[in-house]
Amino acid sequence: MCLLMHFAASGQTVLLKGTVSGDGDALIGATVMEEDTSNGTTTDFDGNFELTVKEDATIVVSYIGMESQKIEVAGRTSIDIVLAEASEFLDEVVVVGYGNQKRSTISGAVSTVSAKEITETPVLRVEQALQGRTAGVQITQVSGSPGSALTVRIRGAGTVTNSDPLYVVDGIIVEGLDFLNPNDIENISVLKDAASAAVYGARAANGVVLITTKSGSKSSGAKISIDSYYGVQSVTKTLDLLNAKEYATILNESYINAGRAPFVNTRDVALFNEGTDWQNAIFKQAPISSHQININGGGEGFHVGFSGGYFLQEGIIGENRSRFDRITLRTVLGYDVKPWLKVGTNIGFTNLNRDALPENSEFTSPVIQALNMDPLTPVYKPDGTYAYSDFVDTDIRNPVNAIENTYDEWTTNRVVGAVYGEIKLTENLRFKSTYSIDATFANQDIFSPLFNLSVDSTDAPTAERNITNSVSMNNNTWKNWQWENIAMYDKDFGNHNLGVVGGISANLNRHDYNGGSNTNLPSNDPEDAFINNTIDPIASQSSYSGAEEYSFFSYISKVNYDYKDKYLATVSFRADGSSKFGADKRFGYFPAVSLGWVASREDFWNIDAISFFKLRASWGQNGNDRIGNYGYTSVVSTGQNYAFGPDEIITNGSLPLTVSNPELQWETVTQTDFGIDIELWDGKVNIASDYYIKNTTDMLYSAPILGVVGALAPDRNIGEVQNKGWEFALQYRNKIKTFTYELGGNMALQSNEVLFLGGGDPTFSGETFVSGAVSKTDIGHPIASFFGYETDGVFQNQEEVLAHATQNEGTSPGDIRFVDQNQDGVINDDDKVYIGNPTPDLVYGFTGNFQFKNFDLNAFFQGVHGNEVFNASVRYDKIGGNRPASILNRWTGEGTSNFEPRVSLTDPNQNTRVSDRFIEDGSYLRLKNIQLGYTLPASLLDKINFEKFRIYISGQNLLTFTNYSGFDPEVGATGPLDVGIDRGFYPQAKTILGGLQIVF
Amino acid sequence: MKYIPLIITIFLLPSCVGDFLEREPIIGSVEDNFYQTEADAIAAVNAAYAALQFEMTPGGHFRWFWGDMMSDDTEKGGEGDNDQFELKQLESFQGLTNTEYLQAEWEANYEGIYRANKVIEKVPEIEMNESKKNAIIGEAKFIRAWFHYNLVTLFGNAPLVDHVLLPSEYNIPQNTPAEIWPFIAADLQDAINVLPLRSQYPIEDLGRITKGAAQALLAKSYAYQNNWGDALSVLNDLINSGEYTLAIDYGSIFTEAGENGPESIFEIQYMNASGGNWGRNNANEGTFSNVFQRARGQFEGYGFNIPTQDLVDEFFAEGFEDPRLFYTVFREGDDMGDRGVFTKDATGGFPHDYYNRKSFNSKSEEAPFGDPNPNGGTNDRVIRYADMLLLHAEAAYQTGDESAAKMSLNEVRARVELDPVTASGQDLLDAIYHERRVELALEGHRFVDLVRTKRAQEELGPLGYVEGVHNFLPIPEFEIIKSNGVYIQNPGY
Repeated sequence: MCLLMHFAASGQTVLLKGTVSGDGDALIGATVMEEDTSNGTTTDFDGNFELTVKEDATIVVSYIGMESQKIEVAGRTSIDIVLAEASEFLDEVVVVGYGNQKRSTISGAVSTVSAKEITETPVLRVEQALQGRTAGVQITQVSGSPGSALTVRIRGAGTVTNSDPLYVVDGIIVEGLDFLNPNDIENISVLKDAASAAVYGARAANGVVLITTKSGSKSSGAKISIDSYYGVQSVTKTLDLLNAKEYATILNESYINAGRAPFVNTRDVALFNEGTDWQNAIFKQAPISSHQININGGGEGFHVGFSGGYFLQEGIIGENRSRFDRITLRTVLGYDVKPWLKVGTNIGFTNLNRDALPENSEFTSPVIQALNMDPLTPVYKPDGTYAYSDFVDTDIRNPVNAIENTYDEWTTNRVVGAVYGEIKLTENLRFKSTYSIDATFANQDIFSPLFNLSVDSTDAPTAERNITNSVSMNNNTWKNWQWENIAMYDKDFGNHNLGVVGGISANLNRHDYNGGSNTNLPSNDPEDAFINNTIDPIASQSSYSGAEEYSFFSYISKVNYDYKDKYLATVSFRADGSSKFGADKRFGYFPAVSLGWVASREDFWNIDAISFFKLRASWGQNGNDRIGNYGYTSVVSTGQNYAFGPDEIITNGSLPLTVSNPELQWETVTQTDFGIDIELWDGKVNIASDYYIKNTTDMLYSAPILGVVGALAPDRNIGEVQNKGWEFALQYRNKIKTFTYELGGNMALQSNEVLFLGGGDPTFSGETFVSGAVSKTDIGHPIASFFGYETDGVFQNQEEVLAHATQNEGTSPGDIRFVDQNQDGVINDDDKVYIGNPTPDLVYGFTGNFQFKNFDLNAFFQGVHGNEVFNASVRYDKIGGNRPASILNRWTGEGTSNFEPRVSLTDPNQNTRVSDRFIEDGSYLRLKNIQLGYTLPASLLDKINFEKFRIYISGQNLLTFTNYSGFDPEVGATGPLDVGIDRGFYPQAKTILGGLQIVF
Repeated sequence: MKYIPLIITIFLLPSCVGDFLEREPIIGSVEDNFYQTEADAIAAVNAAYAALQFEMTPGGHFRWFWGDMMSDDTEKGGEGDNDQFELKQLESFQGLTNTEYLQAEWEANYEGIYRANKVIEKVPEIEMNESKKNAIIGEAKFIRAWFHYNLVTLFGNAPLVDHVLLPSEYNIPQNTPAEIWPFIAADLQDAINVLPLRSQYPIEDLGRITKGAAQALLAKSYAYQNNWGDALSVLNDLINSGEYTLAIDYGSIFTEAGENGPESIFEIQYMNASGGNWGRNNANEGTFSNVFQRARGQFEGYGFNIPTQDLVDEFFAEGFEDPRLFYTVFREGDDMGDRGVFTKDATGGFPHDYYNRKSFNSKSEEAPFGDPNPNGGTNDRVIRYADMLLLHAEAAYQTGDESAAKMSLNEVRARVELDPVTASGQDLLDAIYHERRVELALEGHRFVDLVRTKRAQEELGPLGYVEGVHNFLPIPEFEIIKSNGVYIQNPGY
């Protein structure tokens, strides 16, 4: 293949040969020009060039994203040039859908996170690396439990169905990112506006996260990198609860107020002191560590990369009963078979092991049990066995025993791999075919051992005795293949630059599952917990299995055009067919257009301080197809059985449980985005800002239907939701002698509103211990807003009770006064109002990087503002549960309290009904990470032949500023309609760790 | 361009896209392919039977919640007042309008109606044996009537649903009891016309709805409306069919061996092969009624539905201990099957003097699932022949035939070797009422019996009952909200 262009040159000339590389890779297509002439060439696939130049010429070598270099030939015939990465933010090459683009020429809204930022803060999961670093991307750590998932929302929740973004790793669409080791990632691009995401069509409505993993390097020698850290985690804070004496006082009072005699055992409060600190009993220090090795290298026509990593985290609750470890192995190979043919493969294997404790459950979470277990009960009986409580009601168990008897193990093996071939058909036209597989094999083993905390066989409450042990196992296999064929055409016509992409993609997902359970195992050892291992005389074994699949077929097209990097345009169109929809609704079409104008490149631009100024506008449509696989039809469910005959023969019954909806289709998001990118003082300051309006129409909404229908509600395309927002990101970097510093910040203001439910009914969601739902989704309000009674202090005397609207029969002084919103003289459901919004108005993060000589310091803050949390972590419904110390300020007589009601066993006023009493401000600002590092100086490194040697110490979650009274205000969503409700989350730990980074 | 054909080939692949995107469920079939064969028709009606079993929330119910606990026969029990506090409020008639049990009861009935309507709509088009087809439709009509009967007796004003609703029809308004009763009667009349007698069913169909069951439910419907003439007529048909006799041994009725016995007219079938029925759409065959009503402690129950002293006293109303008391409640010192002797200590120190024996099962009869997977197999004896005889006595009395009334009443008494009643007038009616309470105690009849005989105010007033309000439960608040105001709350709530 002829790439070289020779130009005649006069005078004494030499044939100059050489290679151009940068950041360890050969640079393909780098421009090599003789200065002040039109004589020049570009490098080939291996970065080689040949150019005939004058002996005394100066050559200029340039490449997008790299600093240009001028080199005097000085008679040499061979020069190898290494280009440094351009520091300019704007010249950064950004991965976008089906291609790369220089940031300065992007006309959509794309945020990026680099490998440097990802590894700056040691993170367990990739999503954490995005938290606080990208404007408009809200990441919520739902739980501090090792291995737990995170909630990712790009520009707000657009739907009540599933607002998770689409993840694309090296071109492969994957479900979730748990398999990825953050150290393997080269960069992340977040496609936020519809136009950028539209090339992903029917699955892109919630935004797209594109991840590129590290690949080997073709030239420059082999490089070995080792990253390792070890740390200790501990709980960030404990809550102020009643001690034994205070508890007994409150308990006695609640009996007396209900007209009943207190427990004999608690009457004399003088007998009690501090009692048991249950928080202390469950929270432990726990280790976290990570070890990673990367080897990259290559040679003529090939490049390879290997990596291996091991990550281990134990939980601050339950030690090895809540632990997570991950082994990742990756190989990347690329081979230039012929000048016109490149092939390659990358394959990654991940092994995940997780032991999980129940969480976010008002019934089973150990956190809930530690908060609500009474302080009179000791952890252990005098004989050393675990004690049970005589005072608390059901559900609340000795948490230490509960943890010890929880065996819930998840093992996941996942292989994600791809092979590709790329053919260069002409100089400008390439064709690439990629086949990829994402296979996940996951199994869960649960063992529930025998235990009995009774002193004498049956005196302990039922929950403290497990009289039958049991085992269950669940196996899942997900297999997902994708075959993508893409043609790419790039050509520059003078100042007109054109790039065209067209292709097709086919995708099949299949999920197989099976499992079973059994009881009465002869052994109580979890190692022996197998379904066949039972002594039951009757076959009590149960089993199940099943499968489902869906397929996807897409046509992809995209055209990029710019004129002199000044006028920019991208137009894309994708057609997606999905098996999830009925035959008539199967295909969806997703157009998009984006335009940009780099005003600073106009001749008239004369504002020197503003070195770059770009205006952007985009419009596009995306889809969301995240619903069940067969929603368009009504599936006949078997197994609705009944037993007939004297021998009780189970006889099959079948019917469609759900009403069918053949009209079912994807939901559509139409988004308009206006943006501006500004660079000041040649890169010292970069500003990017966007305003967007994102409308979801045909929202998939399984609106609750009236009970009279008698069947389950189908998904229907009936809702409309609007998200609007404003994003702002700023970076400042400067250097004073040997002191370099970099400050960055981003923020996003957003609002979410349900516009229409198609005449459908509002949805109530978010069940907690308090009677009824906590959240409501209805027109004119954000999704899953808190809905309940507004409180108005505490009745001080009987006159006030009588003067107010009728609440309950037993309402007395000391009870909470609920506002009679409709002034009808009765407090009932009609008086409920919106009392909070779980979605923040503002999500922000800021970071500072400081480098002085060989020391570096990084501090990273992240926060949200303007959201509320429903605190359901105190079981007010449970008699005898422990309470926060704030209850000591309860009402005990006129004028004693206007906030904490009287305590009463029977609570005749239902002071615990859903009300703003449980609503708290969820705003917080957190020092997510602070890190101090030291790098050995180059002079020393050369002696020991190291390229880099850095040690650091790092602290995570060291400071949190919040008014929230629970463990952690970072309460995420456990479902699209279950947001911001704290039912005893596993709190995030604070971590102190030390690490080592070596490259040689 | 030698590669062009290759590319064209690859881009032409989409010609098979249509097939590629056609993915039908791997398990189960879709509705369009169902309701085609006789086997489908049987499976469809079986699914309607399955709805009879739904117990826990969501979308399930216990007959004893309403029939016994809301009456003077039992109190809630459990671990304490706050254990299922909603039920405590219900039994003291302070029930809230938005509790999950109310919601579950409402949904359970309509789930059953939907399933029955599916059969009634789809099965007629299936080509199959005509008499078999008619019987299946008759079974479905009984089931549809049964759930409407529950609705009209518990909620009073509930929408009548006579077909599978289309989305445009979801918001249909409530009907009054006066509109619902004739619909129930028509369904039952249709069922009576097509259903086989119990003796006409093959043995493997034991447990299917019979003509007698339809007659019995129709009689109960007429009785509720004080339509004694029609009640008497259908009861005479039922009695004269000769299909049913009283079991010789009263105590045997409630044993595992006594299931579907000679006096069983309508019995909801449960078996101990699998876990309990967690409400709507649950396919399990076991019942929670056993575990819920068994004593706590070593008896491994939850100790709900505790018989009251008032009920026990009723068994001594004639001056001696009625022999049926032994088969109705456990008293201290009684053997609780193979689970040991009932002492308060053995229950974990709970103060209750009595437990329901009629729903008791021995450990050996229980499937080997432990707590918390209850697994009782005790059938729910919904309608017994004794109930019909006593209803016949009541109908005969109300239509002026005291001798026929006494004959039926005394037939029930004779079984337990009690002397015949010779009283007349109000004393005879009171004797019938007494007999009903004693004979049918803890079988879920008491509350509705008190309401229909206008004795609820007198008997339940001290517990908080107010006539004109509490004869019906409140309409679940969530349903009213979802109806956008189409539903009107029952008076007084």
